[in-house]
Amino acid sequence: MTRWIACAFALGILHIAVLPALALADVPVHLRVIKGSKKGPAKLDASLEPLKRQLSSLAYVRWELTSDDRRTMEKGKVETVKLPDGDEVMLAIAEEQVDKVTFEVTVASRKTQSKLTVERGQRIVHQVSGEKNGSAFFLTVIAWPDAAK
Amino acid sequence: MRTCVRFAPMIGSKECELPEDEARALAAHLGACPRCRAIARDLAATEGLLGNALMARANSRDFAPFVDQVMARVGARPRPAFEQVRRRPSLLAFLRGHGRLTAVAAAAVVGLLAAVSAFLYVHRSAERPEELAALEVDLEGGNIVLQTSDGPVVLIEPDDETGG
Repeated sequence: MTRWIACAFALGILHIAVLPALALADVPVHLRVIKGSKKGPAKLDASLEPLKRQLSSLAYVRWELTSDDRRTMEKGKVETVKLPDGDEVMLAIAEEQVDKVTFEVTVASRKTQSKLTVERGQRIVHQVSGEKNGSAFFLTVIAWPDAAK
Repeated sequence: MRTCVRFAPMIGSKECELPEDEARALAAHLGACPRCRAIARDLAATEGLLGNALMARANSRDFAPFVDQVMARVGARPRPAFEQVRRRPSLLAFLRGHGRLTAVAAAAVVGLLAAVSAFLYVHRSAERPEELAALEVDLEGGNIVLQTSDGPVVLIEPDDETGG
């Protein structure tokens, strides 16, 4: 009887440990390109409401959604995001853990590369273009978007 | 004296109770030791007195209805509480008797706890009061990284022409 109970507990623990690990192979991400402006009346696109707190730390007062995409990423595989001004941003997963992902964001036109680690539910807001006429483009990246608001 | 201590437990033993060599040794000691001899004499004098008296007393009583009398008293006596409690099957006995069921139930409990933990973990991140995100500012390679509780905000180095 003791053996049966031990087997049952081992199966239970295995269920908790292995299944999440198996799910790490593909990471669903939600990508958005947004435009921030310092000019004009303050406005936040309704779909950007979840970003309100993060964006409030910036000097831009008007926010518009430019593109919205959902992709599935794998570690080592590079995704390309096209910007409205023709430039491109490269995105890749450098590290994967159960509740954390490290992204590499490369803005080739600016010759910058950022390595950022976010936990489940956190979002990256990365400026991807220089400021022109008081406006700039930003890329937002969130992994496991369905787990967050 | 030490010899008397060795033989003292043997004094009063009945015939054939001692091995032959010990019986011979005891006899030799009693022949040489007046003290032990006196003890043996007293024991022999009182031997059987108590047993004979008890036997005489027991024989004087009629035990024919003994069993019926005992059973009658057992039937009339109310059961004490501890006997009632003992009748209930214990949880441990139940578990021992249903090993597989217990194992399946244990696995189900572990799975349920895992699901509840995952649910609470996911929803915990959604319950945030409306407040400004906490900020930490880092400088990395010319970029400004604002570490907020909702995640990092990265500002790239401004162009010289726009002046930031």
